[in-house]
Amino acid sequence: LNAAPRRPPRQHVRFLPTPAPGDGGAVELVPTMVPVLADHPLVRGPRFRRLKIGAGHRLDVKASGVFVLGVGHGNKLLTDLYNCHLTKVYTVGGLFGKATEDFSDTGKLIEKTTFDHITREKLERILAVIQGTNHKALLMYSNIDMKTQEAYELAVKGLIRPMEKSPPIITGVRCLQFAPPEFQLEIHCLHETQQYLRKIVHEIGLELKSSAVCTQVRRTRDGVFTLDDALPRTQWDLQSIRDAIRNCRLKVKTEIEKTLG
Amino acid sequence: RRALGGAAGPPSTRQLREAEEAAPVFQYAGKTARRKDRVFVWGFSHSGALGVPSFVKPDAGWKKPRRIQPTPYRLETEEKISSAACGYGFTLLASNTTDITKVWGMGLNKDSQLGFQRSRRDQTKGYEYVLEPSPIPLPLEKPQQTRVLQVSCGRAHSLILTDSEGVFTMGNNSFGQCGRKVIEDEIYSESHLIHQLKEFDSRVVQVVCGQDHSLFRTKKGAVYACGWGADGQTGLGHYNITSVPTKLRGDIAGVNIIQVSSYGDCCLAVSDEGDVFGWGNSEYLQLASVTETTQVNVPRHLPFKIGKIKEAACGGTGNIVLTEEGNVFVWGYGILGKGPNLIETAVPEMIPPSLFGRSDFNPDIRIAHVRCGLSQFAALTNRGELFVWGKNLRGCLGTGRMEDQYFPWRVTVPGEVVDVACGVDHMVSMVKSFT
Repeated sequence: LNAAPRRPPRQHVRFLPTPAPGDGGAVELVPTMVPVLADHPLVRGPRFRRLKIGAGHRLDVKASGVFVLGVGHGNKLLTDLYNCHLTKVYTVGGLFGKATEDFSDTGKLIEKTTFDHITREKLERILAVIQGTNHKALLMYSNIDMKTQEAYELAVKGLIRPMEKSPPIITGVRCLQFAPPEFQLEIHCLHETQQYLRKIVHEIGLELKSSAVCTQVRRTRDGVFTLDDALPRTQWDLQSIRDAIRNCRLKVKTEIEKTLG
Repeated sequence: RRALGGAAGPPSTRQLREAEEAAPVFQYAGKTARRKDRVFVWGFSHSGALGVPSFVKPDAGWKKPRRIQPTPYRLETEEKISSAACGYGFTLLASNTTDITKVWGMGLNKDSQLGFQRSRRDQTKGYEYVLEPSPIPLPLEKPQQTRVLQVSCGRAHSLILTDSEGVFTMGNNSFGQCGRKVIEDEIYSESHLIHQLKEFDSRVVQVVCGQDHSLFRTKKGAVYACGWGADGQTGLGHYNITSVPTKLRGDIAGVNIIQVSSYGDCCLAVSDEGDVFGWGNSEYLQLASVTETTQVNVPRHLPFKIGKIKEAACGGTGNIVLTEEGNVFVWGYGILGKGPNLIETAVPEMIPPSLFGRSDFNPDIRIAHVRCGLSQFAALTNRGELFVWGKNLRGCLGTGRMEDQYFPWRVTVPGEVVDVACGVDHMVSMVKSFT
């Protein structure tokens, strides 16, 4: 970054004496634009010594996926994005037959159960109920008076969602793969933590009269940022980061304007 | 010297894996585990209509009676309940078993709408309020072969439909709604009289009770009616009382009717071609699309262009129909389900399916059944979710809140809802457990 060409130094007007030809008496002051000495690279030093980087929504150690970072002035956009309360999409992998202490497959084993009675329809039924109760919670925590016409219109369009702090709410669940004992779910949620998603997998196991642990949590979308915008580890260099910031700038601006007005 | 047992240290991965494999496996549900059938009730409980005695007479002295049950409460029943109906302060539950006890009733019994319930304290008297589901003795000729198909309840009378022995009616008969001759100054409380109706053109397949009238639909597609007719709800061309079930004519003569519905004073019938016919009270614009009169005493065809209609339900002031595509249309007066601004309409308006959960995520959610209480509506989706809306009279919506609900709202029931019966101030649902 520091090797990149800098801004040209500021210029200012100085009244400099020019030696008049001939007689050495009258010294004229002539206004000239000279660069400010304070802007000289040898005086200032390297332009960037530290970078302020802020993180978007948390992603814990055992999970993977899209992680939004703000650099420098972008940190202010991070707070605006947080206040937009957009949904995040996770791909959650689970395993039937085990129950552990921290709901993931690396924890201490508590119990093993049978799972041959579980079918895809039973799983989808449970997922439908989870969606139903969470949809109700979505409407309740959005703090809109249910008796108004505008509440009805927002509910029809599906735009009601909580705009302040609220407990984790799941807006949609779908079963992507089902091959007992393994299964994979796609979960759209708000205000959640990855441990909450693991707990949901554990509770799905309990509802199906068996037990389940979570093997994988991967965030595939965080608000407007999807997997296509995300940079894998091989691309963590200056050029790709710059391109990524440039590509996302417009998206972020339109989203913030749409939601926060 | 060795330390006792040796230092253990944290278990290695191999030890953990072996411990896991050696752990015992528990079985909570086998491969052939069946889904259980349950009954959930909610609403006004002080009349005993919910069937839980502890709500009305608590077991401990310090507990207060629970007047209203705002969320679904499980009712323990011995048999699998296949049909339920809610009347005005009482409930009937029926099972299609061949055992001797087929129908249970609870709630108000001041007009013997639950039959004669002998009081345990005084063997000559009967109970006026029945607090828990009590068997109703039916005078069947073959009690171990006949099955009860359906029950229906009105304001103070009830109808029980059997598969081979016709229809049994009991309760108030001051307007002939039980299908027998009106007796002057008859005392209906503590009466043992249960009337049996058998003379119809073919087997009766559906019975429906309005507020003070009864409708019978036969296999051939004909509709019979008896009872109070001042609003024309008997559809027989006059406004008098009818005490014998008589066949309806008008626009439904010759039409094969596949469903009838009524709860207040208006009636709707659906034909096999998807047309809907209405008669009865039209003070709330229920039939205003065909006529300006407020009482219609002959069935009239309602020319709605909303698609083929599969099911219809009538409430006190509003009506609801379900089309073949799974969409729901409402019209009438009251809280219709499209926000507080829509109070009355004579033309059916569709309720947006996104309110029932249909979105890009779940594009194939359809409504499977619609039901009506006096001022509430209920819709069942094909996923087994129950949506209610309307006036929340004494907590009958089951949402947990006491405010009216202006658009469809999910009721959280721990199971897949198979059927629901709506009453004036309480509801009963038949639910299958998840696994």
